[in-house]
Amino acid sequence: MPEQRVVLKNCGIIDPGQIATYLAADGFKALKKARDVGQEQVIQTIKDSGLRGRGGAGFPCGVKWEMAKDAPGDNKYVICNADEGEVGTFKDRHILSNDPFSLIEGMAIACYAIGARKGYIYLRAEYHYLYDRLLESINQVCEAGFLDGLNIDVYEGAGAYVCGEESALMDSIEGKRGEVRYRPPFPPTKGLWGKPTIINNVETLMNIPWIILHGAEWFCEIGTERSKGTKVFSVSGDVTKPGVYEMVLGSQLRELVEGLAGARAVKAIQVGGATGRIVPHDMMDTPLTFETLLGAGAITVFDETRDIVDIVRQTLEFLAEESCGKCSPCREGTEVMVGILGRFTRGEGSAHDIAAMERLSQAMMLSALCGLGQAAPNPVLDSLQYFRGEYDSRVKG
Amino acid sequence: MDLTTEMNKRNMPCIMVDIAVTINGSTVSGQSGMTILEVARENGIDIPTLCHRTEFTPIGACRVCVVEVEGSRTLVGSCHTPITEGMVIHTHSPKVLETRRTIVELLLASHSGTCYMCDKANICELRAIAADLDVGFPEFQVRRRYYPIEDDSPYIVRDLTKCILCRRCVWACREVAKKDVFAIGYRGFDSKVVVDSDQPLNKEVCRDCGICIPFCPTGALGKPRKIAEEKEGQLLIVKG
Repeated sequence: MPEQRVVLKNCGIIDPGQIATYLAADGFKALKKARDVGQEQVIQTIKDSGLRGRGGAGFPCGVKWEMAKDAPGDNKYVICNADEGEVGTFKDRHILSNDPFSLIEGMAIACYAIGARKGYIYLRAEYHYLYDRLLESINQVCEAGFLDGLNIDVYEGAGAYVCGEESALMDSIEGKRGEVRYRPPFPPTKGLWGKPTIINNVETLMNIPWIILHGAEWFCEIGTERSKGTKVFSVSGDVTKPGVYEMVLGSQLRELVEGLAGARAVKAIQVGGATGRIVPHDMMDTPLTFETLLGAGAITVFDETRDIVDIVRQTLEFLAEESCGKCSPCREGTEVMVGILGRFTRGEGSAHDIAAMERLSQAMMLSALCGLGQAAPNPVLDSLQYFRGEYDSRVKG
Repeated sequence: MDLTTEMNKRNMPCIMVDIAVTINGSTVSGQSGMTILEVARENGIDIPTLCHRTEFTPIGACRVCVVEVEGSRTLVGSCHTPITEGMVIHTHSPKVLETRRTIVELLLASHSGTCYMCDKANICELRAIAADLDVGFPEFQVRRRYYPIEDDSPYIVRDLTKCILCRRCVWACREVAKKDVFAIGYRGFDSKVVVDSDQPLNKEVCRDCGICIPFCPTGALGKPRKIAEEKEGQLLIVKG
């Protein structure tokens, strides 16, 4: 399946500093249409389109919105998760720097649909240089009279990976230590300051204006049965043309990695960043959908000169460092894994260690409080499954 | 679930509704808003807990109380998950027990382990749970968090080397004593219960209420020891 531009349609076309150029490209027509058809119809359209969250979990967007709309309360919030912390993703940065207006329009539609008067863009700390530009864009939209009393603010994160997780993100906005909350209650019923809140990824909100403008049927035609639309991928690593690519969902990994990005002699691909899956080169025909592998769309390619065990060790070191430290399986488990993987990279592993890691992985996946701890064993288990030889060759004695 | 959502939709005040759930094969009933742990305890099913105490809101940090709920991808913490109509719960399935054992083993791996010198050895909850779950010497190797003993305060001695980061003291200080002296500092494995910006506990910030001391499941919090005082509590009795 080919490249298709839905999310990135305006990138490089409009001037991100001039709202006039966005208006010339059908800007804010979707917001007007949404306000004409009414809340119910907007949510129904999003539900019909089958749009799923692009942040990695793939939760149906329309269902989330409906829950927030139906939740009692006058104060509701819409948060745009622009804390793009996943290792190897830079798609949101590309979107924010090239087409901030589509995002603001998407947020305005979301706010209208659930009845919120306040929206936050939670901006990653490292993207500080975008802060003023985003505020300027919001000002331009406000002055053009599209926000209609709606208040959109930019909140800067403090640099924690775990704050990309929705409940930690809300704690961070509330001014607390960014730590995961247990669920239920889920954010659409009890979120920011205990009020109904929806949290959507930048890319999810970018899809909204076009779905409203062109209708659910148009969106349904793109993609596969259960994964509709397109996905923006950040491709990096051992490729000749790293960058941001938008593909129809269901496209093969090979098409993206070898065809578009120009990778040669691939050994493994990490799909979805640090907590993502590791795919060996002979499984590159896998279609990219929510059911198979996707994550947040980070594609890191490793060629044959790379050492898988060392990659996994570095990944786990990162996760151990970024674990919030609340739940014991993640706090202690990642640290134990770093120790074991360190022994393997030094060639001092034992068969006993592999069994311990497998047992630990199982417990972490089942009992950790959030996605970080639950998905932290992914790189370990995948590398054990596909690259067992590399571990076995480092067993001492 | 449906009923609660329906009530939320109509903005009705939450009234107590009987909810039927299945725990370990037998159908029992509980009220809406009750957690799995409360229903289980009411029906005489023992789920081990570490960070949970009935005196304050659930923390959900230790994950020792996880149970299996059919239809859920992961195990859920029973101390904070409310029951929903028709929930099918297994509190002692092999998967649950194995996970609990691994978690306790992890906690023991980084715990100081000097029980023979510990004042609270006979009333240590971590030790009791480990004995109850048949967790032996931990298989996992991990560095230990060694901190100097904080005995500046005349009221509380903190030995954070023994701390398992269950956060009970933080919640007890916040919700029972209403003082909010403790907080969590740093992150990941290096997390630590801190006072102010990681100052040793002194009598300026914390007076002599001592409420947190009995809440500590291990020997991390204690009263200053007087000479010739015996160890607290009865000899350790193993339930299992």
